[in-house]
Amino acid sequence: MTTKELIRKIFFVEIFKGMALTFSRLFTHAVTRRYPHKIRRPAQPGFRGLHAWSGERCVGCKLCAGICPSQCIYIATETDKETKKLVVKKYDIEVLRCLFCSFCVEACPEGALALTEHYEYADYSREALYMTMEKLQANWDKYMAGKVEDYFKRFWGPRPEDFSTPEEQAVFRGRK
Amino acid sequence: MEEISRNQPPSDIRIAPELHTREITLNMGPQHPATHGVLRLVLELDGETIVKCTPYVGYLHRGTEKLGENRTYLSALPLTDRLDYVSSMNNNIGYVVAVERLLGIEPPERAKFIRTMVAEMGRISNHLLWLGTHALDIGAITPFLYVFRERERIMDLFEELCGARLTVSYPRIGGVRNDVSQKFLDDLYAFTEEFPGRIDEYETLLTVNRIWLRRTKGVGVIPAEEAINWGLTGPVLRGSGVRYDIRKFAPYDAYDKVEFEIPIGYNGDVYDRYMVRIIEMGQANRIIRQCIEKLPKGPITIDSPFTLPPKGSLSRRDKERFNKDYYSRHFVLAKSGPKEAPQGEIYVATEVPKGELGFYFISDGTGRPYRMRIRAPSFVHASALPRLCEGGLVADVISNIGSIDIVLGECDR
Repeated sequence: MTTKELIRKIFFVEIFKGMALTFSRLFTHAVTRRYPHKIRRPAQPGFRGLHAWSGERCVGCKLCAGICPSQCIYIATETDKETKKLVVKKYDIEVLRCLFCSFCVEACPEGALALTEHYEYADYSREALYMTMEKLQANWDKYMAGKVEDYFKRFWGPRPEDFSTPEEQAVFRGRK
Repeated sequence: MEEISRNQPPSDIRIAPELHTREITLNMGPQHPATHGVLRLVLELDGETIVKCTPYVGYLHRGTEKLGENRTYLSALPLTDRLDYVSSMNNNIGYVVAVERLLGIEPPERAKFIRTMVAEMGRISNHLLWLGTHALDIGAITPFLYVFRERERIMDLFEELCGARLTVSYPRIGGVRNDVSQKFLDDLYAFTEEFPGRIDEYETLLTVNRIWLRRTKGVGVIPAEEAINWGLTGPVLRGSGVRYDIRKFAPYDAYDKVEFEIPIGYNGDVYDRYMVRIIEMGQANRIIRQCIEKLPKGPITIDSPFTLPPKGSLSRRDKERFNKDYYSRHFVLAKSGPKEAPQGEIYVATEVPKGELGFYFISDGTGRPYRMRIRAPSFVHASALPRLCEGGLVADVISNIGSIDIVLGECDR
């Protein structure tokens, strides 16, 4: 053991260095967020939160139910006898079983389904998180109002029509 | 007379002349907070020394392999998030790379760079969580708070990238889900400029701290040869001094286009594994920087029968952009998966933060795998726990569990 090491050992040099670091952190901003009481950060755009569904866009093709990994989308359709059109009779999503992978949104050819940026939907009962047609439509009206086009353009349809390069792609812009 | 004789020991049992203690059996877990989930260890103790250690796993078994066999190649992806939920990005990429090899497709260059970048973010996030909890188990509480500060930034970046913080489901077969935004790239670059200073902070707190050294040096030693025989991979194997990293020896994605070094240890103890992971974080940071700097322009998904076509071409209402071929392909893919997947079997391994994650597929030509087997590093590492613990002290079991970095979701699958 050299003298230097001995001095380090006797005077607790490394312990004091660590203490100095923690002490200096005493005067910096707190990084913790007091979530429900003080700060409620809105989710970033494109967040995969609660489901919303538009009745007028949906054509009842059942692709969302087909691709769903947890099979939590239930659809029933019926052909209208007069107009010969497919009418969606039932469209339910069991949110408690959902994985929030957004495959349903990608599979939907009409953009009738979206995962909104709303994430505070915890509840005490199972029924409240079983989304029926009406609830999903209400979500669409509430959370997707005015941002439908932008939403699908930026987050769910990012691939250009022919799989080529979009013009303004993000690249490294150099150090600041 | 009768009473007295009854209280005496039966004459056929002889009390041993020398004093000896009985070994006791101790159940550690499955609810013990230091077992990182639901690992149960049955310890046989002689005083404080461990005579025998038997790990019991399976408390978190969800049948992921079987579930994967009942889903198409496309929709089994979110299951892999739930394997190792600490580094779900790496698990996704492991799955996607394996399926791509099976189907014989290659993602475009830009997607490869993006994947490499986000995989290294996942590695940093995993190692940060590991460092925090491992230090907390051993008794150092401060690093736990410090690492969560940085981990939170990575989580925020993931949220900005793909809309989810933990279970990302970001890569796709043949590319990635969506392109990176300029804000994301700038934020990530700012993070990588700051991060090496943060690693120095953790090192100030731990690396030379005498309590830390006492708890980790010479604990849970496993020599290189035995480490190979036990099938250990990842930082645990490298801590024993074996230079093995799949990113270097069988590069996937863009790992052959970036420069990085593989740290290796000498003694194979807990401290060396700690140092390997600390240095790995710095190297991951370096890879992210190179990926951002080299990120080429180009498509993010290839046009193949196995990728979902762009949304704009699918709506029948939009007569100009509607593409009939894309529409029928999309319908088949979403409903029943790729129809013409090649027959055969394949094993593809990727380097996840925990070690070697392997996916083994048997394909019978349908859209679903006939067999999906997952080689989970945590499972193999948990099997080596008796070798690490036996002969040591009870308190060192905690260091050993922490140092092999297991996540029971992946271990039990």
